Amino acid sequence: MLEIKDLHVNVFGKEILKGLSLKVPPGEVHAIMGPNGAGKSTTSYTLAGRAGYEVTSGEIDLYGEDITGLSPEERAAKGIFLAFQYPMEIPGVSTMNFLKTAMNAQARTRGEKELDAAQFLRTVRAAAKELNISEEMLKRPLNVGFSGGEKKRNETLQMALLKPKLAILDEMDSGLDIDALKLVAEGVNKLRAPDRSFLVITHYQRLLDYIVPDVIHILSGGKIVMSGDKSLALQLEENGYDAVINQAA
Amino acid sequence: MGKVVSLDNLLASMEARRNGAAPWLGSLLDESREKFASAGLPNRRVEAWRYSDLAKALHETVVLDVQADAPPELTGACVAAFEDGVLDNSLSSYCAMGAQPLRKVLADKDSIAANLIGKINPQHDHPIINLNTALMEEGLVLHVPKGVTLATPLHLRFNWSGVEAQGADGRHLRILIVLEEGAQATIFETHDGSPSFATIVTELSLAANSKLTHVRLENFGAAARQTAATVADIGESALYRAFYFSQGGHFARHEALLKMSGEQSHAEIDAAYLVADKRHCDNTTVFLHAAPNTSSKQTFRGVLAGAGRGVYQGCVQVAQAAQKTDAKQLSRALLLSHKAEIVTKPELEIYADDVKCSHGATAGELDANALFFLRARGIPETEARAMLVEAFLGEALDTIENEGLRELASTRAHLWLARHAGEATHVE
Repeated sequence: MLEIKDLHVNVFGKEILKGLSLKVPPGEVHAIMGPNGAGKSTTSYTLAGRAGYEVTSGEIDLYGEDITGLSPEERAAKGIFLAFQYPMEIPGVSTMNFLKTAMNAQARTRGEKELDAAQFLRTVRAAAKELNISEEMLKRPLNVGFSGGEKKRNETLQMALLKPKLAILDEMDSGLDIDALKLVAEGVNKLRAPDRSFLVITHYQRLLDYIVPDVIHILSGGKIVMSGDKSLALQLEENGYDAVINQAA
Repeated sequence: MGKVVSLDNLLASMEARRNGAAPWLGSLLDESREKFASAGLPNRRVEAWRYSDLAKALHETVVLDVQADAPPELTGACVAAFEDGVLDNSLSSYCAMGAQPLRKVLADKDSIAANLIGKINPQHDHPIINLNTALMEEGLVLHVPKGVTLATPLHLRFNWSGVEAQGADGRHLRILIVLEEGAQATIFETHDGSPSFATIVTELSLAANSKLTHVRLENFGAAARQTAATVADIGESALYRAFYFSQGGHFARHEALLKMSGEQSHAEIDAAYLVADKRHCDNTTVFLHAAPNTSSKQTFRGVLAGAGRGVYQGCVQVAQAAQKTDAKQLSRALLLSHKAEIVTKPELEIYADDVKCSHGATAGELDANALFFLRARGIPETEARAMLVEAFLGEALDTIENEGLRELASTRAHLWLARHAGEATHVE
């Protein structure tokens, strides 16, 4: 359960989010759509706690707990997961080592037991197989030399292993051809669960054919201007953002 | 407290040293002493020492620290142990590979060193090499005959207890290594503790088709003052392959002065330096390509924390005859703090017209995007920073072929990372 209350956010001194309010109940998939410059990326970075995204007023609650002031790593341990639009390539850090460090760090922060080496390997191998990720890919440095599809599958793998309560998918379809998109969407759909919410941020309706949302919100000028069911996406596809937003206003 | 090292003290010691020297050595000592006397201790008015003012550093008083980390042990290696600048035979096993103490070699009437010392890639005007020559007594000479491959590495272990200062003239050690045609050897050189003032000059003569692997770990205490030079002549198709690790000191400098004198010779250095607190670490290289078809590659990676100061001066000289030279130079520095400093000075002097020489230098902070990515996955900031610094260094450490040596270098790096890599004074 995510609840954003009247959120105002400045980036480099400029107000980008101007009173964003949103509620995503457990188990639901909500999409945020909007034109360029509406504040979509700002929303995902602010939820993940990136430095430089300054919350001037409002609140972000996760299952009733205010997380507005927490660091990115604390939010991650509370169950927030951001799937990046452009996952970082990090030379010198192997994918395996990264996964292990992340899983163990979250476990430690939550006061849970860390996985031993054998448990870890079993868990990763099983999850990787589901997503058609090879052993060889896991040994490579994180995302280095990965294709667009491989990077997004790798993000999905991380999501599967870290078991978040709220997954934010930021422009999950960028850089993907239709086959890669289907594969990633399939991976995401398998992770849908009654105690997990999704926030799918996208510019295009295409992604929502594969990850079908319960609710669609339209973000424009830093706030939600319209919400509706999935038919809203089709309306946007047909008439464009301007027409739909003007009609709402 | 270290005693003040002054020009007068050094010259007086040289005088005394000259009086007891073997006849063949006399003219070499005289020449070195005269040159040193006219140049004086190097200071920032001398271009090559502009960013590392030794004269000034020697005037500063330092409190010697009794060293914390024990010197590394390399299983199976033959050891030449220098304790506070003196070769300690009770801790050494170098005889097994036929090495000899420098003291003995210098005292010989017809010394094998007579044609070698100061004559391998000569540096007539180098103030520190002249100082070292005029005062050298302790050291080691290793001669590897034609076609012989030494089965075990030679560990040159310099350990400074820090219990007392090295007098008003410091300690000056000389290492001489000769690889005859086709010979192969591995030298593992370690520096631990805090010399109040030491110079170490290592001369390497690499004949045709020989191969020397040189792994050098400096793990000084904060008060250490040392300036060292590795001087090499690399013959036809010979190979010098080195890894240098250093974490600076009150004043720590190492120069690699390499001459590719035979065709197809190749020199390659990968280096990592990690400098924290108020330490100073200087890496200087002068690669002289003197013959055609020679190649070299140098990659220096620095991590600067606290108020640490790093200096990298890399000079590539290509003589007119050295056509088809291929020289690559890269300096990368990671600054973890706003007070840390890196000085990078690449120099190319090219007199041939058909050469490939490249150089690159970067200095920057940790990648903010990468850091956020790791933190967004739940990895705490300190740990995430350490991971990124380690990844940056990993590329250098991975170049060490010998597994035992790689592990010893990695251990040193990890100790440093554990102490300093998480330091963050950046405002994001």
